[in-house]
Amino acid sequence: MNSPAVFADVSPYFFFIFAGMAILFSTMVVFKKNPASSAFSLVLVFFAFAGIYAAMDAHLVAALQILVYAGAIMVLFVFVIMLLSSDVPSLDMKRSGLMTRIAAVSAVALLLVGLIYVFKNNPSLLPKGPHSPEKIAQVGGNTRAISQLMFSDYLLPFELTSVLLLVGIVGSVALAKRKMGGTK
Amino acid sequence: METQAAQTLIRSDLLTLTQNQMEMLLPYAWVFVGAAVALVLSVIRFISPKWPVFIVSLLTLGGGVWATEKVIHGERLLAFNNMMIFDHYSSVFNILFLVSAAVTVLASFRYLDKEGLQYPEYYVLILFSALGMMLMASSIDLVVMFIALELMSLAVYSLVGFRRADRKSNEAAMKYFVLGSAASAILLYGVALLYGSTGSTNILDILATIEKTPALVTPVFSVGAWLVMIGFLFKVASVPFHMWMPDVYEGSPAPITGFMTTGLKAAAFATFIRVTMSLGYGKSISAVFQHHMHDALWVCAVLTMVIGNLVALAQVNLKRMLAYSSIAHTGYLLIGLIVGPGNENGYSPMIVYLIAYAAMNLGAFVVMSMLAGREDHGLNLHDLAGLSSRRPWLAFAMVVFLFSLAGIPPTAGFAGKYMLLYSAVQAGEIPLVVIAVLCSAISVYYYLRVIVYMYMKEPAGSPANARASLWSALATTGMVAITMIVGLQPSQVLNIAKKAVNSLVVAAK
Repeated sequence: MNSPAVFADVSPYFFFIFAGMAILFSTMVVFKKNPASSAFSLVLVFFAFAGIYAAMDAHLVAALQILVYAGAIMVLFVFVIMLLSSDVPSLDMKRSGLMTRIAAVSAVALLLVGLIYVFKNNPSLLPKGPHSPEKIAQVGGNTRAISQLMFSDYLLPFELTSVLLLVGIVGSVALAKRKMGGTK
Repeated sequence: METQAAQTLIRSDLLTLTQNQMEMLLPYAWVFVGAAVALVLSVIRFISPKWPVFIVSLLTLGGGVWATEKVIHGERLLAFNNMMIFDHYSSVFNILFLVSAAVTVLASFRYLDKEGLQYPEYYVLILFSALGMMLMASSIDLVVMFIALELMSLAVYSLVGFRRADRKSNEAAMKYFVLGSAASAILLYGVALLYGSTGSTNILDILATIEKTPALVTPVFSVGAWLVMIGFLFKVASVPFHMWMPDVYEGSPAPITGFMTTGLKAAAFATFIRVTMSLGYGKSISAVFQHHMHDALWVCAVLTMVIGNLVALAQVNLKRMLAYSSIAHTGYLLIGLIVGPGNENGYSPMIVYLIAYAAMNLGAFVVMSMLAGREDHGLNLHDLAGLSSRRPWLAFAMVVFLFSLAGIPPTAGFAGKYMLLYSAVQAGEIPLVVIAVLCSAISVYYYLRVIVYMYMKEPAGSPANARASLWSALATTGMVAITMIVGLQPSQVLNIAKKAVNSLVVAAK
């Protein structure tokens, strides 16, 4: 907030460190056989994301990322895995066929090459969004800016998210509460 | 810092709603309050919540239609920081969603008794899903659009898996949930790239930005646009992204399948039209992008029609057959999307077709949910043998719907398909029209085969002659009426659709 210039020259290195961590641990989430270690790799991915956000001066988002995702949501995940683990021995699914695997790998490679090409060749005239660091500093920091925007400009998505959560709860309770095959 | 906080990002005009905005918001508020009331009623224990929730759901949906009807001729209005738009287009779609939800509720009442699934949450989820659809069709901000899409999908994921004791239903729900989430993630990534390359999530602003500076149609913008398109093509089950659909349609309870093929598809297409317009389709902002988009949609449409119809030929399960036929109809609708900018009626033939398809397909699924045995058994072709002698009225209704699906006059399906193909001829897409006509000729075979079984085969066994539910009969009658009215008076429906599309064109500047 005070002097982003100090960070400006080191943040590329921070970005590469955290982005590398994020990629490394995301692949571990996919390839680990044991659901618990997948979940813990995911926690590390969230921490890496928080590092990227912090390097971009979005400190509030970084803190929320750790509190909400790495804290609350992942603990819930781990609890679910612990509760389920007795009847689900592992997530080791049926091996897919060779053709499927080749297709998947080539699709991912194609996407990667395409995205690299696109981002390298993009002319740098991208417009700036309305909320520049200076403007945020004027208002009094990230927290203030986000909370003011959340209840004015972005009121509708904010309120709709609560409806979305309500539906999620109703749906999961409706599916989970009754016994299989029984009437209630 | 506390004292100099005079500078604020809060714009005071966003904190209140005008009288007009309140009136326009009434249908949404009504459905939300109705859903909340139904939710509260569904936990009462001193009487069975079955009837109260059922009645509240119907009142909510009926009241929603009434409230929409009142504001349908109002002026175009924006609200909530230009995130929501109330125009004729969204009102027409709102009525479509509400009616299809109401028909689903009517068809489900007896069906759930039969399945031993009479849980009140079912109706609550339908109401919330309808609310999500309404918000989707009236959102012009990609953030709101995404949340509304998730609201609709989340409710439907739960409904698909509602028959928990059935393995097929579980598998369908799981498949739909995983693949649907993946599609949502792709869509969201596209939205992020669009925001990054134009600086806005509002689709009107995006269009204005790229119209002002066409150089902003950068590779990143194109990739964002493509990813958003892929997300929508998944939701409407166009061919390269259709793999989930037959299993999901077969596994979910029959009324929900009907709801998915009509409400969900209409909502996805309603937003799809808005988004393709705002990405500059048909405005030749960037020639290359325009051609690529056109060609990709063209290939998708052709593949969707051909594969949908050919695979449907081989199906003996009625639900699965209608799932593939639903894929085929997505192909016809994609023609409407492709030729939208190039003909005098714009996207309105597509809206007519969506209305016609909603009526005939919902009707067919209501009939199927009446015929289905426990866990949706007894929906194979040979189970329908001799239906005309056992349940003549039901067989007759089914004939109307099947004729309409096949596009035989004087039904809604014919009128819709005629307008759609006429607009394609106007836009000069002759090969597309030829393929579509050939495909509908193929489709006549498998639709008529059902009729042949119902009217010309001797009944194989003698299944218990269940009494028809009053509510389902009501829904079926309504759908037959709409199918025939749209078929006989297509110009009136076209006028409504034209008015809707005109409000859209004005909106997109």
